[in-house]
Amino acid sequence: MTEQEILAAVQEIFRDNFDDDTLVITRSTNANDIEDWDSLEQINLLTAIEKRFRIKFKLADVRGLKDVGDLLDLVARMAG
Amino acid sequence: MAYTYLVTGATSDIGQALLRRLLAHAPAGSVVLAQGCGDVQKLAPLCANHPGLVRTFDVDLSDRAAVAAFAALVTEGFAPTHFVHLPALPVVNTKFKKFDEARFDRDLEVQVHSAVALARAVLPGMARAKFGRVLFIQSSYTLGAPPKNTAAYVMAKSALGGLVKSLAVEYAPFGVTVNCVAPSMMETNFLKDTPALIVEAAAADNPMGRNARPEDVAPAMEFLLGDEAGFITGVTLPVTGGSAIV
Repeated sequence: MTEQEILAAVQEIFRDNFDDDTLVITRSTNANDIEDWDSLEQINLLTAIEKRFRIKFKLADVRGLKDVGDLLDLVARMAG
Repeated sequence: MAYTYLVTGATSDIGQALLRRLLAHAPAGSVVLAQGCGDVQKLAPLCANHPGLVRTFDVDLSDRAAVAAFAALVTEGFAPTHFVHLPALPVVNTKFKKFDEARFDRDLEVQVHSAVALARAVLPGMARAKFGRVLFIQSSYTLGAPPKNTAAYVMAKSALGGLVKSLAVEYAPFGVTVNCVAPSMMETNFLKDTPALIVEAAAADNPMGRNARPEDVAPAMEFLLGDEAGFITGVTLPVTGGSAIV
């Protein structure tokens, strides 16, 4: 899976989660850019990503995520 | 003296852990009236281990008519000396603006209104007997600032806390104590709707490095239900590994 494919799939999850079909995310998008992106939404996003990519995050994997770029790199590593 | 324990939510993991302790230590002749909802078969092993001591009742506590009938049955047929109220709906982690009102009401029915109805039914008998123990289960979420996105659960648990304090002072002259335990996140079937990452984060943030287990909480409950705890009333005992301290 290319980074572009992962980004597209993650963007779909963001759009679904935040009820915003126009939302566009980039590697530098972070919680300050999306008003509703708080700790609960972070968990909801991660849970949806786990399901979509059939992976299982560990707490240590996700505690240090700063932005979408970090998230994409983590998914790429775990999804192979 | 033989005791009659009325335990609602008895089929939960914490309910079963408590019943195991109570049945192991109860005076001869004691019985347990154990309520569950559609799952009383979970108590089959306990019933088998203690023949004739556990009576199961399948009652939907969100149904006021069913609760009223159960309350009448319990008071007319038995005279509970102990009342332990454990039922709760699994926590839903949802923003307040997205809360489902029907679910909100159901939380109150199952946790609070059933507690009021059953307490009203059993407390007069305890007062007449000049002995009684009432115990509720709260949550560390009601100690200090609660976590976000758990309004229905925190509201229902806080209502129970108010009920406990009020009943404690009202029934203290009659030798009846009314208390709560307040565990931190407990790893049981109750968390089936909670994302694993939330459970792991709670364990990592706990000073003891783990979440509570039923075997951590049941002894504290048994203590508050015991004869020797007769001068302790109106308290909420945290069982939190230090994650919430009052």
